[in-house]
Amino acid sequence: MNILKKLGISLLGVLMAMPAVQAADGELVVYSGRSDKFVKPVIKEFTKETGIKVILHSAKSTALLNKLKVEGERTQADLYLSNDAGNLQLGGQMGLFQPLPQNVVDVIDPTLRAADNSWVGLSARARVLVANSEVDTSFVKSVFDLADPRLQGRIAVTHSGNGSFIAGVTVYMEAAGVEKTREWLKGVKENAAGRTFDKHSKVVKAVASGKRAVGLVNHYYIYRHLDEKPNAPLKVIVPDQGDGEMGVAWNVAGIGISKYSQKSAAAVKFVEYLVSEKGQQLFAEVNREYPARKGVASSAEIPAANTIRAASVSMEALGKQRNATIDLLEAVGMP
Amino acid sequence: MLSGVTGVVVLMAAIPLLFVIYSSLQLSAVRWVGLWDTRLPDLLANTVWLGLVVAVGCLVLGLSSAWLIARRQFAGRTLAIWLMVLPLAIPTYVFAYIYTSLLSDEGWLGLAWQALFGDSVSIPDIYTGWGAAFILSLAGFSYVFLLARTSLLQSSPSMEEAARMQGATSLEVFWRVQLPLLRPALAAALAVVVLHVLSDFGAVSMLQYQTFTLSIYMQMEGRMDNQAAAGLSLVLVAMSLMFLVLERFFRNRQRYFSHSRARKFQAKKASGHELLLIWACLGLIALFSFLLPLMWVLHWSWQAWSADLIGTEFWGYTRNSLLLGFIAATVTVVVALPVALYHSRVRSWLSTCYLHLSSIGFVLPGPVVALGVITFVLTQMPLLYGGIAVLLMALVVRFLPLAVQSQEAALQQLTPSIEQAGRVLGAGPLENLWRVTLPMIRGGMVTAWVLVFIDVIKELPATLILRPIGYDTLPVRIWIESSEEMLELAAPAALMLILGTLPALWIMMRAERAR
Repeated sequence: MNILKKLGISLLGVLMAMPAVQAADGELVVYSGRSDKFVKPVIKEFTKETGIKVILHSAKSTALLNKLKVEGERTQADLYLSNDAGNLQLGGQMGLFQPLPQNVVDVIDPTLRAADNSWVGLSARARVLVANSEVDTSFVKSVFDLADPRLQGRIAVTHSGNGSFIAGVTVYMEAAGVEKTREWLKGVKENAAGRTFDKHSKVVKAVASGKRAVGLVNHYYIYRHLDEKPNAPLKVIVPDQGDGEMGVAWNVAGIGISKYSQKSAAAVKFVEYLVSEKGQQLFAEVNREYPARKGVASSAEIPAANTIRAASVSMEALGKQRNATIDLLEAVGMP
Repeated sequence: MLSGVTGVVVLMAAIPLLFVIYSSLQLSAVRWVGLWDTRLPDLLANTVWLGLVVAVGCLVLGLSSAWLIARRQFAGRTLAIWLMVLPLAIPTYVFAYIYTSLLSDEGWLGLAWQALFGDSVSIPDIYTGWGAAFILSLAGFSYVFLLARTSLLQSSPSMEEAARMQGATSLEVFWRVQLPLLRPALAAALAVVVLHVLSDFGAVSMLQYQTFTLSIYMQMEGRMDNQAAAGLSLVLVAMSLMFLVLERFFRNRQRYFSHSRARKFQAKKASGHELLLIWACLGLIALFSFLLPLMWVLHWSWQAWSADLIGTEFWGYTRNSLLLGFIAATVTVVVALPVALYHSRVRSWLSTCYLHLSSIGFVLPGPVVALGVITFVLTQMPLLYGGIAVLLMALVVRFLPLAVQSQEAALQQLTPSIEQAGRVLGAGPLENLWRVTLPMIRGGMVTAWVLVFIDVIKELPATLILRPIGYDTLPVRIWIESSEEMLELAAPAALMLILGTLPALWIMMRAERAR
């Protein structure tokens, strides 16, 4: 017992001596569903300019939304940052956010923010197809071609619980109708041949290695892969761009201020910074997304925003129709 | 009084269950039918299958290694013991992560496979049920090893010798004497293993194997539907309760102590032949369950170190993890003691009830426990919210059964006569507890502490939700970094996790050897 006691005391001593990583007062708390790596650069600059410190509390977007809802007034969150407009819209509907000042949100395209100013979009991502350039995929021009029988066992999609996947399907439901989407989902299920991927990066890997011919991903994953492997045989297909076709599915990462935040002034400053030109560049560029602010150029590697036609589905619909989408996915029995 | 204290403990442990029941009651019949139609039967089948296969896997790996190590003297035996126990330091999701990386085309195993078999035979696909069973067996067999080895070490040779004198062959001795004597230890260990399988999320989600728990997570994620998640959780709880009752049945009413504690087993010295065989067997197990993962973690940690990616915050995360584990393990062991005592002294339906209820927290998925605890704290003790107390509560509730099982297994092996002697000599019940019982089950208490400590520092889902702002632990960092495929950043955290568990394991092994 003696040596255990000594061990225990010395361990406690060591632990107390180690630096603590904990929150302090006066710092902005951001519930973030976006990867730390892509938020830290803009936070660093913000703190440099304004002196306001920001703490990121990361977890999955939906879990954080759940937490905000349950916490109610006792929440310590000042801001909620999510990679999915659906979550932001839901948060707005549930009354979890306070409205942002009009002059702050005006710089962002109206289709990329909430009508009641409860949240504002910061950067956009396109749902595109990635194909292996060594395989003949010339017939693949639309997302709906993923259900083509020629692609049996050759497509790579994420599992149906993935937020971006759900958002994409919502857009298709709105733009092309429920029945067409249902038929498409059945075809995709067939073509996926029982195997889905838990991450988009794995989808891109599978396509690059030749194990799959076509995959459905958010555009920036392709460029991330090309960063590591510049010679990967990958081809980007921006789907549904022809006349009369629905356009590419669009989703937006955004932010809202928590209704019960005690530091609204500082929080508004943060959002202002994020929608400023400099902030937009830092925020969107680091992940090669499209800045939501009009007039800020996106990274040179990705197709320019004005060359892509987006589906005319409002971001609000992503939240409102989400449950209907999930119902459809479950009805079809998507893995 | 014991029953009163136990009752209070169990009530606290049952908070998430109450939350689950309350939420499920708000689910309409239509929704229940809807849930049942969509995927439930498949999920049930998958989960039960996985539980069975992993139980068998862990049994085979754990029992064989325990037997070899307990019954034979050979060079490097201490090292072998360590190697069999070290896999506990690696969380299941890290195992899954490492093996998906190893088995990919550019991974070490993938390359080795292609070198051996060329392009004709494709690399085994780990994204299947068998893959998940493989991972979970590697991650869980140590529990069986530990408890089986302790039991084998403590069994008196007289029963086996008596059997041999009666003419039984080695195999018969094993089957008819050793195995039944091992039953309580094996049953307790398998209970822990199966509970881990039922509640596992990290590994199965990475391998995309649709179990019940995964589905519950998806309900909460996709729909933000806490009620459906609660309903499914209720089914999960029912399943595990059934399993626990069955397990108890195998252990029931048997007394496993032997009166002559004079002679311990003398392990036979292994012959040269046997030595080779033993090390081949143990070496293979150790390779896949610890050495390969360790090498992978070291390799990527080194990359991170050279790329200068490890900052001062990293040590802060380590400290947070270790401190949390320390406090949570201590509280849990103390809180579990009344339950274990009550059940081993008073075998009534009430004590069995208490025992099973205290296990609920372990089976319920992390987010469900977290939500239950948050709701309780926000409504009953709002001042506590935001600090570490909420997280501690959830962790204690979640890992209570580990502490209860270990302490109870130790209590079961105590001869009642020593305690009775204490009472006869005039000690009051509390004094008797402090001076007689507790010192004798010290080994069990230490094991309980270590098991809870290890599980707490590996815990992910509840910590993710309940942690105070700015209090990130190592698993949280692993999750955050690996969600964007940042291997180099996840590996150092995994390495720290492994190093952090080493002292705990050392303490446990010491306590074992002291006997």
